[in-house]
Amino acid sequence: MLFNSLDFAIFLPIVFMLYWFVANKNYKYQNIVLLIASYIFYGFWDWRFLLLIVFSTVLDYFLGLELFKEINQKKRKALLLTSVFVNLGFLGFFKYYNFFIDNFIAAFSFFGQDIKPNSLNIILPVGISFYTFQTLSYTIDVYRKQLEPTKDFIAFSVFVSFFPQLVAGPIERAKQLLPQFYVKKSFNYLKAKEGLHLIIWGLFKKIVIADSCAIYVNEIFSKYETMNSLSLLLGAIYFAFQIYGDFSGYSDIAIGTSKLFGVDLMKNFKYPYFSRDIAEFWRRWHISLSTWFRDYVYIPLGGSKGSKWLKIRNVFIIFLISGFWHGANWTFLVWGALNAIYFLPLLLTNRNRKHLGDIESERLLPSFKDFMSMLITFSLTTLGWIFFRANTITDAFVYIKKLFAFNFKGGLQYLSIERYAPELMLLIIGFVILEWFIKKEEHPFFGKFITTKIVLVFLGIILLGNFSNVSDFIYFQF
Amino acid sequence: MYISDFVYTYIFQNTNPRNKLQYILNVENQNYDIVFLGSSRVANHVDTKLFDSLSSKKTINLGVLGASLNDNFLELKLLITSNKIKNLVFQVDSNFEMTNSTTMVSAQAVPFIRNNIVKKHIKENLSNFNKMYYLPFYRYAINGHKMGIRESFFSLVNKKPRVNPEIGYNPKYGNYPKQTASLPSEISKSNPVLDNIVNLCKKHNINLILFVAPYSSKMKNIEYIDKLNQKLPNLLDMSRGYEDKLFYNYGHLNHNGAQVFTKDLYVKIKDKLIQ
Repeated sequence: MLFNSLDFAIFLPIVFMLYWFVANKNYKYQNIVLLIASYIFYGFWDWRFLLLIVFSTVLDYFLGLELFKEINQKKRKALLLTSVFVNLGFLGFFKYYNFFIDNFIAAFSFFGQDIKPNSLNIILPVGISFYTFQTLSYTIDVYRKQLEPTKDFIAFSVFVSFFPQLVAGPIERAKQLLPQFYVKKSFNYLKAKEGLHLIIWGLFKKIVIADSCAIYVNEIFSKYETMNSLSLLLGAIYFAFQIYGDFSGYSDIAIGTSKLFGVDLMKNFKYPYFSRDIAEFWRRWHISLSTWFRDYVYIPLGGSKGSKWLKIRNVFIIFLISGFWHGANWTFLVWGALNAIYFLPLLLTNRNRKHLGDIESERLLPSFKDFMSMLITFSLTTLGWIFFRANTITDAFVYIKKLFAFNFKGGLQYLSIERYAPELMLLIIGFVILEWFIKKEEHPFFGKFITTKIVLVFLGIILLGNFSNVSDFIYFQF
Repeated sequence: MYISDFVYTYIFQNTNPRNKLQYILNVENQNYDIVFLGSSRVANHVDTKLFDSLSSKKTINLGVLGASLNDNFLELKLLITSNKIKNLVFQVDSNFEMTNSTTMVSAQAVPFIRNNIVKKHIKENLSNFNKMYYLPFYRYAINGHKMGIRESFFSLVNKKPRVNPEIGYNPKYGNYPKQTASLPSEISKSNPVLDNIVNLCKKHNINLILFVAPYSSKMKNIEYIDKLNQKLPNLLDMSRGYEDKLFYNYGHLNHNGAQVFTKDLYVKIKDKLIQ
């Protein structure tokens, strides 16, 4: 079920009514409503894969309890490894099996050996990368004795499958989310209103920004050989805003929907394109994943402590894993490696924590230095996105080669979507200016004239939105 | 929603046509000697000005990017309600495999959904007819890429369209020979929409000439056209024999190619045209 679909528009109010008006006696009833709703939400896509979620839930629930009871460190480690292997095993099978088989075949044929192992027609269960990481964080926290395991199976099941964030995050930590399912929630008008504001703004980012960009991006990337450098540059910029609008829009809707049920989720985006260096970008982009990798991979590896080579190794490991998490394709690995290369100079010169605060909160416009830093960071990020979007590494390299050929023959190219390539920049520039002025908040609905702003955003969605081809959120595929 | 729907509809129905379907719905009492109909492989290939100068006849190119046979059928039905056509030169190739309507033409038709022919056509071909007909603004929302705020604004300020629908030729420039594509490996037994077009032409005494436009060497499964020739014995097959440098891509000639093709087409059909 997509957030931007009619199904969800019907589903959400029904669950809302049941939650607040039928199951409001105690938190157990509320949890049961959320659990059933979450399973229906997921089952709408493919009910068979519900079994996977249920299996992961049962396994980690009992492993958590055993981990807490067990004193023997070896046995505790074995229990933890069971959780890690089973959860990552599912992820590996569904997401990476064919990638490894195909590369295995390619490697052998390179050396003149023809082998024919079976590629399988595997469907990737939506959201598997997200809920796998979420359940893993629970088991690891219990293992580290940072969290007491829950005895409430229903609450734990809701924690694993909570529908607003089930398929594309934010990837929540048990410490933050689980306790919220132990208490009866009373309706909070302000929180619900805030949730609705986030939903509206998320829909704007998805339907107007991301889906409009998608039309141009699909056209430019699919026909990049016929495009001049200007169109290729625009294609890359449009993709940067497509993926931002798409994923941050999704996160806003998820956080907003969750607020409607009295549940707070962590912030996932913090205006990442206003970052002044790559380190700051990664503190503002997909925060729930970045912090997950930081806490469960980077710091256990030694983090930024130790020798220079250890630091370099850790940075590469973290970014390569992050790239591979996004998809079973070499393009994602190159994207990860590229970000590691961007990040290294900052780390090695101890400038990776230079920009911890918000940018220029007092001034109307950024200083020239900050503006240039933001522009350079955005350019580097956008260059990386080309690998993220391209079908193959070859496509990405040819795209970049043509981009830097500075061939402007044909000028403002007219695309077969019957638009000039630069047309969308008007909308993008308007969006960036708007985001700059609301960067202290999470959406534009604050201060004076809130109703007018809501009406204008609604009008924007209706008049500027792309409804012709309702598309999945990009991060559903991860 | 009601207001937006009313405003958009008013604009599209009362401003100068900016696309070919709008043009067809506006034009009356014309006698066309030759109408070229098909997809972008007509719009990009037939230079009507050149054809006019060669033939001294009144021609129009009504090829629409991405149009299917069913889309062309709608164009034809609308055109013959208020105009006369002597010859219809109609592109058939892999579109023989399609019987459905695409959004390429139906999107252009939505402001005119109350027109009986358009209404009947959309009702028969699109599953969301009821929503488009009864829900205010729905028809514009789902076709926003074609008939949205941008198009209504340009119509309102009377901005000239990039392709003049009165002429209809839409040239492509450049040569991108690396792209490849493939024709279907199997052919359907028949295409009921094409049968309907043939019957409509017979009923209105329109001389129908079916043709295949050129493909470059990058088009795979070109044998499909041989199978099509067997299905349609009178098909004018011009699919082969054009150098790759005359192509924009595998299935579309560039402007230079269109000049060569238009002259060739004239030579091939001039004796088949009725005066």
